This record gives sequence, C-alpha cells and structure tokens, in this order.
Amino acid sequence: MSSFSQFKQLEKLGNGTYATVYKGLNKTTGVYVALKEVKLDSEEGTPSTAIREISLMKELKHDNVVRLYDVIHTENKLTLVFEYMDNDLKKYMDSRIVGNNPQGLELNLVKYFQWQLMEGAAFCHENKILHRDLKPQNLLINNRGQLKLGDFGLARAFGIPVNTFSSEVVTLWYRAPDVLMGSRTYSTSIDMWSCGCILAEMVTGKPLFPGTNDEEQLRLIFDVMGTPNESTWPGVSSFPKFNPTFPQKLPKDLRSILQIYSKEPLDDTLIDLLHGLLQLNPDMRLSAKQALHHPWFAEYYQHP
Amino acid sequence: MSGYYKALNILMKSPVTDDMIRFLTNTTLKVLPQCSYPTPPGSPAKYTSKLPSLMSFISRLVRHTNVYTSTLLVTACYLNRLKCILPRDASGLPSTIHRIFLACLILSAKFHNDSSPLNKHWAKYTDGLFSVEDVNLMERQLVQLLNWDLRVTNDDLILDLRYLLEPIVEDIERTSVQRKKLYRHIRLQKLKQQQQKQQLQLQSQLPRNIACAGAGDHIVSTKSLEHNRNASVSSDLSSATLVSENSGELDIWNKSDLPANPISRLPSVSTIDSFDPYGLYRWQYEQDILLQQQGY
Repeated sequence: MSSFSQFKQLEKLGNGTYATVYKGLNKTTGVYVALKEVKLDSEEGTPSTAIREISLMKELKHDNVVRLYDVIHTENKLTLVFEYMDNDLKKYMDSRIVGNNPQGLELNLVKYFQWQLMEGAAFCHENKILHRDLKPQNLLINNRGQLKLGDFGLARAFGIPVNTFSSEVVTLWYRAPDVLMGSRTYSTSIDMWSCGCILAEMVTGKPLFPGTNDEEQLRLIFDVMGTPNESTWPGVSSFPKFNPTFPQKLPKDLRSILQIYSKEPLDDTLIDLLHGLLQLNPDMRLSAKQALHHPWFAEYYQHP
Repeated sequence: MSGYYKALNILMKSPVTDDMIRFLTNTTLKVLPQCSYPTPPGSPAKYTSKLPSLMSFISRLVRHTNVYTSTLLVTACYLNRLKCILPRDASGLPSTIHRIFLACLILSAKFHNDSSPLNKHWAKYTDGLFSVEDVNLMERQLVQLLNWDLRVTNDDLILDLRYLLEPIVEDIERTSVQRKKLYRHIRLQKLKQQQQKQQLQLQSQLPRNIACAGAGDHIVSTKSLEHNRNASVSSDLSSATLVSENSGELDIWNKSDLPANPISRLPSVSTIDSFDPYGLYRWQYEQDILLQQQGY
C-alpha cells in the first residue's frame, strides 16, 4: 500500500468512464505511472466500476494487460496506480489522419496489434473475466509497439451462478448483435465481436459500424453481414429485441468494403479471420484462443 | 462433486428462505465470537436501545432490497474470509456485526450485479440505524480488510454454502436413483411384453387352461408397475422445481409393492428367466443403496 505523497502528479492524460487520469512520477523509484483518480461521491460510496476494476485487475498479470500496481483509498478519493503507457490506439490512429482521409495502419502493424489484443483477451477469458468494453480508446500502446488492455470499469467475472448481466454494455459501435438484441446470457463472445470491429478499424482507419442508436447499429451490421434468420442463426427470433421486420439483407463481400480504404492488398486469411470474429451468431464466433491459431497469425505461432 | 455444482445452481435460483437468513446470521456471528454474547450493560453506543437482533436486521435488508439469492449468499464467502483475517480475539461495538454484514452485502451487490443500490439507499434500508457516512466508512474498511479480494469461485461457494447445499445434493441423488429405477422398470416391462407375446404364441399351441392362468398373472403385475411409474414421474417433476419436500412421493417408492419377504425371493438366474420383476427390482434397489452408502 503506497501513500499519495509518494507520487508527483504531472499532466492530465484524459478522462476515463468514471475518473480522471494523470501522468505521475513515483518519487522513490523514478518510474512513470498513470494515476487514475476516482472522486468518491458520498451518496454512492465506492463506485461499483472501481470495485470491479480493482478486484479483477489486481490478479491479472500479463504482458498485454495494463498492470495495476497499487490502490490509494482515502475518504473522498480513490487513486489507482497503473503502469504508464504512452498512447492509446484511438489517438494513435487519429494522429495519422491526413486531411479528412482516415488512414489504415500498415498491415504488419495491424497484425502485431491484433495478435497482442488476442493474447490479452485470451488471458482475461482464461481467468474468467469479460472485459465488455474493448475499443481502440481502451487499448493502450507504448513506443515499443506493445498493446495492452486497459479500463476494466465494465469488466465482470463469469462462470459462477451468481451474476446477473446487463445488455447495456460495450460502447455502441463495438457491441455484438446478440447483445444489441437484448441478450443477457452472453459470454466471452461479447469481447470477440469487439475485437473483429477493432481489426477492421485498424485496417481502414475508420470505425466499421458507427451507429448512433441501437436500431441503426443493428441495421449497419446487417447491411454488411446479412440479416440473420432462423436458418442462418437458430434461435435468433427469440431474442427480446428481435424484430421480424428487420430489412432483409444479404451478406456483402467484406474484402471489397475494406479494400478501398487500404493501400495494401488484403489477403484471404485476413478476411477469413474477420469473418470468424464477426459471426452474427455468438456460438459460431471464434474464441480468442482459436483466433491466435488462425493462419493469418502463422508467422507468430510458427516462429515464436 | 458434480452433484454440488448442480445443487449450487439450484440454490442460487431459489427464493430467499428463512433458513438462508438463519444460516447467514450464524455465519456473521462466528466472525466476531466476542460480539455474540448479550449486550453487556453500560455499553456506550447510542443505538443499543434500538439495535435490532442481527437476524431481524438481515431479514429487513432482504425485504427492503429484494436482493437476489445469489448476491445474498456470496456474503458467506466474504464473512468467512474476514473471519480468517481478523485476530481471534477481535471484538467491537454491539452494532459491529450489523456493520460487517451490511458491508459484505453491499460489496457483493456492487461486485456481482450490473446495477446496485447507492450507499445512501443502503443507509435508508437500515431504518436510521446507520447514516450514509457510516455506510461509506464500513464499506471502505471492509474492502481494505479484504484487500479488494472480492472474486469467488464455485469451489469457494460450495465450501462456504455446504450447509445449504447438502439437502439439495441428497435430493438430487435420490432423484437420480429413482430415475435409474424407472428406466429399469421400463426396460423390464418391455422385456416382459416381449416375453408375453412369445408366450401367447406358445400358448396358442398349448392346452387352453394353462395358458389362461399364465396370462392373468401378468396382467396384475403389469398394472402395479404402471402405478409405480406414474408415481416416480410425478416425484421427478417436483424435484425439478425443487426445494419442496417430496418425501411423500419417495415413500411410494420405498414402500413399493414389494413382496412381504423379499429375501426369500432373492433373484437367481432362474427368477430372471421366469420374469420375476419384484425380485430383480429388490436386488437392484439394494445395490443402489449400497452404492449410495459408498458415496456414489
């Protein structure tokens, strides 16, 4: 347990879901940290987001998950001391916009980031934790090209008959179709959909499904992936928000949609991985572990 | 162990019972054994006069918040963790046990549910016993004592809730024994019907008087089997929704229509050959009991 005086607070890095993040310097070790400050509201007490983020991240020690070093808990402020990261994937991609044209990342870098994203997600899922808010803003990167999962404010433990799940999770653009249709029985596949959206976004430099509300979000998804029905996705019509009058669309060719925004040719294995992650039916979606064994990553698992 | 996992799922989905509240009251009292004695005279605390018993305090919280069974029962894990952390001679004010329980419940609700009451609501649910500042303090102290270690595994739950799980496990075992018996009965009946057909075919070639006697016997025994099967189906259903006592239906099974002195009719190859379902049944029944005793 460290005390607050141990850290020198530097510039503000940003606002998280429920907190303000500052760069900090550990005065005794000279190491930079990220200080996530949560104002404690006397009516709420300790926010459940902070309670979950701390108790879940405390145990998650992996190269692709941001390390939580310490917690400083006082009467009116809770400070989480994290490993310092230079940037996040969203800001990094924004910094590459030329004029008004979004730029995708080089495919080599996309592959390296996606590999690390899959490693981090696989580790969380092995540890029975759902992140539930994977998006470029929550993927932190450093100058060495490392990518780490951060912001576990919406994360939840799964696998015990204790939890009740809300379908109001994950930032809209990255929310899976089953969750959009009101599923409360989701599991790790909820994160895998987000990973598919992120992969496409890294390739093109722009969000794949930028909806403004639940209905539009589903419409954008079905426009590209096709409208599901009982034969393509058995059980789909029993979701609470399934609408039999959804406009009927056929799946489009994902490659031609993405290729126009990429300078490099998109190969079959990349498109195949995207299809695996963006399966409408959550039971058909690739798991993080399966994705790590996908041929697109062959160069990583064949030459570790 | 799989019986316990099943039982855990059933327990977590059943409504909150008085038995659960009693169990949690006892678990809380064990955290601070020093506090479980009657309030000593002259205690300085200002609320001793209106301090409710721990059990009615917990009941009231359950009633006010309509808390999920699972959220409520996880407190047992936190209470036991706390017991291990606190020094054995730890003591507190008479209201300390109330604070401990409430803080465990708040942390369980915040950790395990996507939406949970604010601390000001929790304070209100205590009917003036604690202010929101009190609640904030107890929450902060508990989460620090537990070192933010709020995850529970199925094994934690099974260990800490075994008192509540054991009756359900027994019930599941009884049901599965019944189900096995039922399948045996159905198999036997089918065999018997086949045999009957064969016999009838044979009988058509035999003298008339012998054939009649044989057929009559079989009709009676088939009827009693039919009766047993219906009984076990209904008891199966009631244990699917569970928690209700189904000992009455079990009795039907245990009484069965067994022969008065089954030992004398212990089966041999010849009785099976001659289709004596009761003898065979009795033997299998005893095997089941044996297996059960050996913990299968």
